[in-house]
Amino acid sequence: MNLEYSGREEIPTGLDAVWAFVTDPTQVASCVPDMVESTVVDAHAADAVVQVAVGPVRGKLKLRITLDPDAAAHRMNMKISGGGFGSVVDVTAGADITAVSATSTALDWKATVTMRGPVATVGGRVIDAQAKRVITQTFENVKVRLTGAPAPAS
Amino acid sequence: MSTTAKPTPDKYSLGQSMKRKEDPRFLRGHGNYVDDIVLPGMLWLSIVHSPYPHARIVKIDKTAALAVPGVVAVLTGEDLAAHNLAWIPTFHGYDKQMILAVGKVLFQYQEVAGVIASSREIAQDAAELVEVEYEPLDPVVNPFQSREDKIILRDDRENKTNHIYHWEVGKRDATDAAIAASDVSIKERVVFQRCHPAPLEPCGIIADMDAATGRLTLYLTSQAPHAHRTVVSLVTGIPEDKIHVISPDLGGGFGNKVPVYPGYVVAAAASVVIGVPVKWIETRTENLTTTGFARDYHMDVEIGATKDGKVTALKVATVADHGAFDAAADPTKYPAGLFGIVTGSYDFANAFTELDAYFTNKPPGGVAYRCSFRVTEASFAIERGMEILARKLNMDPAELRLKNFIKKEQFPYPSPLGFVYDSGDYHLTLRKALDIIGYDALRQEQKEKRTRGELMGIGISTFTEAVGAGPSKHFDIMGIKMFDSAEIRVHPTGSAILRAGTKSQGQGHETTWAQIAADELGLDPQNIMVEEGDTDTAPYGLGTYASRSTPVAGAAIAMAARKIREKARKIAAHLLEAPVDDIEWENHAFHVKGLPENAITMQTIAFAAYTNPAPDTEPGLEATFYYDPPNLTFPYGAYIAVVDVDAETGFVKVRRFLAIDDCGTVINPMIVEGQIHGGLTEGFAIAFMQELAFDADGNSLNTNFTEYLVPTSLETPHWETSSTCTPSPHHPIGAKGVGESPNVGSPAAFVNAVMDALAPLGVTHIDMPLTREKVWRAVRSAKGAAKT
Repeated sequence: MNLEYSGREEIPTGLDAVWAFVTDPTQVASCVPDMVESTVVDAHAADAVVQVAVGPVRGKLKLRITLDPDAAAHRMNMKISGGGFGSVVDVTAGADITAVSATSTALDWKATVTMRGPVATVGGRVIDAQAKRVITQTFENVKVRLTGAPAPAS
Repeated sequence: MSTTAKPTPDKYSLGQSMKRKEDPRFLRGHGNYVDDIVLPGMLWLSIVHSPYPHARIVKIDKTAALAVPGVVAVLTGEDLAAHNLAWIPTFHGYDKQMILAVGKVLFQYQEVAGVIASSREIAQDAAELVEVEYEPLDPVVNPFQSREDKIILRDDRENKTNHIYHWEVGKRDATDAAIAASDVSIKERVVFQRCHPAPLEPCGIIADMDAATGRLTLYLTSQAPHAHRTVVSLVTGIPEDKIHVISPDLGGGFGNKVPVYPGYVVAAAASVVIGVPVKWIETRTENLTTTGFARDYHMDVEIGATKDGKVTALKVATVADHGAFDAAADPTKYPAGLFGIVTGSYDFANAFTELDAYFTNKPPGGVAYRCSFRVTEASFAIERGMEILARKLNMDPAELRLKNFIKKEQFPYPSPLGFVYDSGDYHLTLRKALDIIGYDALRQEQKEKRTRGELMGIGISTFTEAVGAGPSKHFDIMGIKMFDSAEIRVHPTGSAILRAGTKSQGQGHETTWAQIAADELGLDPQNIMVEEGDTDTAPYGLGTYASRSTPVAGAAIAMAARKIREKARKIAAHLLEAPVDDIEWENHAFHVKGLPENAITMQTIAFAAYTNPAPDTEPGLEATFYYDPPNLTFPYGAYIAVVDVDAETGFVKVRRFLAIDDCGTVINPMIVEGQIHGGLTEGFAIAFMQELAFDADGNSLNTNFTEYLVPTSLETPHWETSSTCTPSPHHPIGAKGVGESPNVGSPAAFVNAVMDALAPLGVTHIDMPLTREKVWRAVRSAKGAAKT
């Protein structure tokens, strides 16, 4: 099952601060909703355990978050892959980071989610909404963390 | 002990709606299923499944799982390969199937590893810790993609093609010529979708190797315990006398509990190695995603006819999706089962059918769900074809059928595709159905509703089955002829024990088998204990599936009872002090010719068999019979569905459904009615709800009962039933079998009714399941086309 999402976040923070944030695996991992635990592997990767509950499918996913920043283009490529409870999840995401003003930065993102196993069988009716929520909230959380606003409920 | 009291014939006769002897224990919660059995020191097996439909296995790391306290072992395909158990042959022997994947996985949820632990919970948790590294490969998810051979799925096979086999029967050239020369012809692709029997009790096993005796006991959800014993022996090399299969109560089967599944083999192997009992009980998801599915036939149906509606030729070309292994449990010589019954109830002068089967990245199977070895698919094809032909001829579908039925004087009828139908009166049965349903009035009502734009449909299905496999000259599984067996022992006080090679999954054998023996012997059926499912005690039989129990084992019971009766006649002659030739069996008792008032019952004779046996006869009163049927039996029926379709929502209301079944002699009308109700409900589910669907990536989309629907009493229509009776001339009691008739006959009636409702819009065919969305889209599309 392949699902595609895209969105835009405008963050009232300068580009350098945003770039520093999204290239830090510790910070990025902390933005994934329903996080149970995370461990930084190296400067570009972190492991995360995420709780998933979609309809009758419930369990924990062990994910590897790998960041592939393109500093020249101010583009962050990100791959999240892993699985659990017989399921496999692969997310390929990319965000173009551009300065709107000296104190405002836009984050235009796209993500493709591929799922296999029980998590894919919940069907588009449910999984689409859930996947969209997780992806959207991850990028919303980037904004929240950078601006110090209270985190939205997950 | 003697009596001259004549038994009451009704008490012993066939045709009585005796209450089911097994129900008191089920209703009180005292059924005994595999999962109810707990043995001392028992371990649990949990299976690791593949999330990919097609992938190479790069590495399997057991370390984390083995570190969990309580985990005893983790088995992989490589471990089994060391014992030559990684692959086992399929039932017909033409293919093999993996137990635990070696090298690569071929369908999503394929079994990859087994974790054995001290509790089910620990085994399941540890199974999640088995780390399997895969290299995903492109999947092949439908047979039309498969036949292109761009991706070869089974590199273990010598022939590098996804094509499994081609099968054909009939006269191709003559049929093609007849269709070409016909005044009118139709051609339609009808798909019988992949579905699943989904018995409420999933599959399971407890394997118990007794190291002291060297005996392996398998408590197994098995519809064919003896066949499973033989398979286990052939695969493992354990002598058959060292294998004891016990199939306790089964919570439904519908063909799902015929195949041998990896969980069985892994549990057995683990018990042999570890030396303690190992239990495996499927989850619902495992049942739906890995065990034997049903159907998945894509059938191109062509019929030629004269302009006045006399059919001249039938041609059906099928593409079959068999999944990853050719594991359809068909008889050896019948790779497409009994699909040759596709000419149905009609007298075709020319017919030809062919089938090509392909591997795909889906679970294996195909023969299940009350299908009578592909009779369900065949019946659907011909009944849809006849309906489409009727519309093209602008002819009433009942009239078309009546015009083309095989006439009762044509029986025994040799069909153009090789069967010899035993008996039937199709005209009588359909006319009875038309009378009961009030067909003419319904057509008038429909006519009036159409003037108001309302969508009402009437669908007919007049199917004929071929069941009761089967005659040993044609039918075998693994080379074992498809006879069946019965053993009856009459005790001194006139009660008895009856053992058979079949296995009830809810059909009521404890009752009907007792009734057959009671009728033959004049014993009280309440005092005939029926025992099945224990290979140590029951005579060898091929089991219960494909509506074969009554046609084959039921006959064996009658014949075993008749052997007893012949011996009893000698004892009666001894007791009545008359020559054997002067002893008559009448009204379930023996008497000397001309002296019916001095009759003696079987109870009297039974006592004498142990206390006062006749000279030159062995003491005791028992017999065993292995019945090799001379032919299949051919039950049939006329079903009519009446539906109303809501054009705005696509909702189909089944307003009435009438099933007239002719299964020959009826043993217990109440049980037959129950069989028909159950099968109709399954047919309804298939027609409107059920499909095992896969997305383009090979993901299974129906892995639980929220995605794979089973109708409840809320959705299920009210069933009207009745019958006609044309006994089978070659069966000892004239019975034909009924277990699968309603599932065979009803899907076409439902679909024909909906298509009839949509006829004013020009809709000819929609593939099952006829979900609201599909019907709604068809209506919208048709209305849109009408506007443009």
